[in-house]
Amino acid sequence: MLEFVPGAFSSAFTFSILLCLAIGTVAGIIIGALPGLGTVLGLVMALPFTYVLEPGPAIALLLAIYVSSIYGGSISAILINVPGTPQSAASVFDGYPMAQRGDGALALGWATIASFVGGVFSLVILVMLAPQLARFALNFGPIETFALIVFALTTIAWVSSGEMLKGLLAACIGLFLATVGPDAMTGQVRFHFDNLFLSAGLTVIPLLIGFFAVSEILYQAAYLKDVKLPAVTSGGFKVPPWSAWKPRIVTLLRSCGIGSFIGVLPGTGATAAVFVSYADAKRRAPNPEDFGKGEPSGLIASESANNAVSGGAMVPMMALGIPGDGGTVVLLGALTIHNVIPGVRLFSTQPDLVTLIFVLLLLANIFMLMIGAFGANVFSRMLKIPTTLLMPLVFMMSVVGAYAIRSNPVDIIVIAVFGLIGFLLRMNKFPPAPIIIGFVLGVPLEMSFRQGLILTDMNVLLFFESPIALVLFIITALIVLGQFGAFKALSRAVGRGKG
Amino acid sequence: MKRTIVALAAVAFATPALAQYPEQSIEVLVPFNAGSGPDASFRMLQPELEEILGQPMVVRNVGGAGGTVGAAQFAAQDADGYYLAFMPVGTTTTQPHLRDVTYDDTSFEPICMTIQDPMAVSVSPDSGISSMDELIARAGEGTVTSGGPPPGSLPHIAQAAVAAAYDVDFRYVPHEGGSAAARSILGGQVDVLVDPVGSIINYGLQPLAVLNDSRLDAAPDLPTIDEAGGPPLRYSIWFGLFAPAGTPEEILTALDEACQAGTATERYQATVENSGRTPRFMARDEFSDFFRQQYQDNAELLSAVGLAQ
Repeated sequence: MLEFVPGAFSSAFTFSILLCLAIGTVAGIIIGALPGLGTVLGLVMALPFTYVLEPGPAIALLLAIYVSSIYGGSISAILINVPGTPQSAASVFDGYPMAQRGDGALALGWATIASFVGGVFSLVILVMLAPQLARFALNFGPIETFALIVFALTTIAWVSSGEMLKGLLAACIGLFLATVGPDAMTGQVRFHFDNLFLSAGLTVIPLLIGFFAVSEILYQAAYLKDVKLPAVTSGGFKVPPWSAWKPRIVTLLRSCGIGSFIGVLPGTGATAAVFVSYADAKRRAPNPEDFGKGEPSGLIASESANNAVSGGAMVPMMALGIPGDGGTVVLLGALTIHNVIPGVRLFSTQPDLVTLIFVLLLLANIFMLMIGAFGANVFSRMLKIPTTLLMPLVFMMSVVGAYAIRSNPVDIIVIAVFGLIGFLLRMNKFPPAPIIIGFVLGVPLEMSFRQGLILTDMNVLLFFESPIALVLFIITALIVLGQFGAFKALSRAVGRGKG
Repeated sequence: MKRTIVALAAVAFATPALAQYPEQSIEVLVPFNAGSGPDASFRMLQPELEEILGQPMVVRNVGGAGGTVGAAQFAAQDADGYYLAFMPVGTTTTQPHLRDVTYDDTSFEPICMTIQDPMAVSVSPDSGISSMDELIARAGEGTVTSGGPPPGSLPHIAQAAVAAAYDVDFRYVPHEGGSAAARSILGGQVDVLVDPVGSIINYGLQPLAVLNDSRLDAAPDLPTIDEAGGPPLRYSIWFGLFAPAGTPEEILTALDEACQAGTATERYQATVENSGRTPRFMARDEFSDFFRQQYQDNAELLSAVGLAQ
């Protein structure tokens, strides 16, 4: 494949391709930053434009949107406490507190560089190991996927910020919401109340807008006097010094690895990957108590992992023609329309094209870094808009975006209803993140479990015969037991304090 | 006199308006998300139709619930030729029997069929199975699992029909869709997938027999199910263009002609074939009969497997 690299670079460095990369990056960052418009919708909106383009520029435009929209979500997460995409839901934990204390520029610096490292890391994995990893990932059948999702559910403990019971309850709400709509195992529709629109089920973006954006807006409206708004600094983009990076390099690389790995595997997805990465960073940190209060490690764990998923999810798409998540489904469709058919044959029949796609992906990451760094000045000016103007605008854009995804009026009602519920939960100190974790994992959890039961003829014990699943179950058990241990130590400490 | 003038005026304005159809852009509803298989299948035809009709076609994706959300919205649209839909076999001929929807076969006027992909029975290349007879022998010895989209989908019906025709049992493991099932087959967790031939080849699966009356250009070495010594089963995934019931005859004829010309272009044929699909034009009269027949046949099939309500 190496012999195609010079050719790929020379065909990538044409005016039309570079222009498409620049346009795609700017558009992707804006789409990602606006709550309601996510990666999938961004790709869908760009699709018609690519029909009039040659395959090269068309693929460049789509890849740039794919990569930079994931990054864009962090900007609104950091600056206004509303994640722009589900993949940046964990970036609010530490990004927003940093902005609140006046370090918005620094937070954007951490997030941008972490996103770039995550993207390039996963690209290297994609280039070096795509066929091998794709083959390895095939070992993850229903039972292994079930074990992985059970493991991913343990992350709820780390995002519940000391309110474990409320976090678990919130996760149950999310799991329940995931059951609305068609039951993939039987085709029957559940909890639709004879409403056609509800029979299509709920989707994550309206829930995210309800629980994060609308409830935040209501909260700020109700407690405007008490809400500590981000300090308006001179704004811009500050690269954190090397001394601050050095102790966090291991966290950064681990998060890149987690993101790439989960991206390659079926069923779990980018949103779950960032929570797994965040929980891992918090568990291993010497200062877990700082997480959620503006610890840069939390932000880089989340932002490097979500961009690392981008390359990981492309592994099964490129090597097997089987898309790993919503974004790659649209990418696959777009490539098909442009007469590029990913699958087992692509690497052998069109190695020059595969190399070009890799080079474009690299350039898309570089464009994201540059435009993100230069654009930060503009983004941080958002904070100079008075909250009373900014928040209604955010709300309006969110609703429009959520409706545009599939033109289903239920999605607007979901935003309103769950915005209100989210507000009540927030007042009672229920963390919203576990609801989203429960929701995104609910469908694959149920599906893989029931598939596993069919395959084992309803014998759950056979789940433990799979070595991969067994290892994952043991890790999960250790983590859960560790949590109980922590509880005991805590209650003992509290008891001593009282006594 | 006054009335005559009004009538004359109406005729004078109405006739050229019809002759000039379409005089504005046409909205085409695709009841699946953008970038999905049905969406891609229409986007290949879109530029051809736009050139022939001289008006832009605006695709509207309304996904969800096997296409029924979009199809139900479409059935209630004005039948003036400016609202069309591009829908597959499942949404139009199986879903109405599976669940409570607000449309049936009389809600639509079929215009033309554009793509028809015969399905094939396939296994993993690592399975050691290379013919239908070996697969059926395996099913006779022990459990053979079969994967595919949720029950009621065409791949599910087709695999049930194959098992029934050979008098064996396949244990069905539902997946999100064909590609997820292909992953389980390649990983060795599930044994059989019945899916369109193009997808099977693209996933790198081993096709055993195509459920069609003749061999395909895309896979000339692949025997038909009859040649493999099996029952004459015919299953395919097809896509077609529809108008709401009650659309004027002249408009339907114009669209039928445009569809025939559009699907005949070299560019269209090449794009569709390269994507692993099989171009298949069926004109309005033939397609209408075919559609109503499929609607009836699938109702019977679904009640035979106990899924029809």
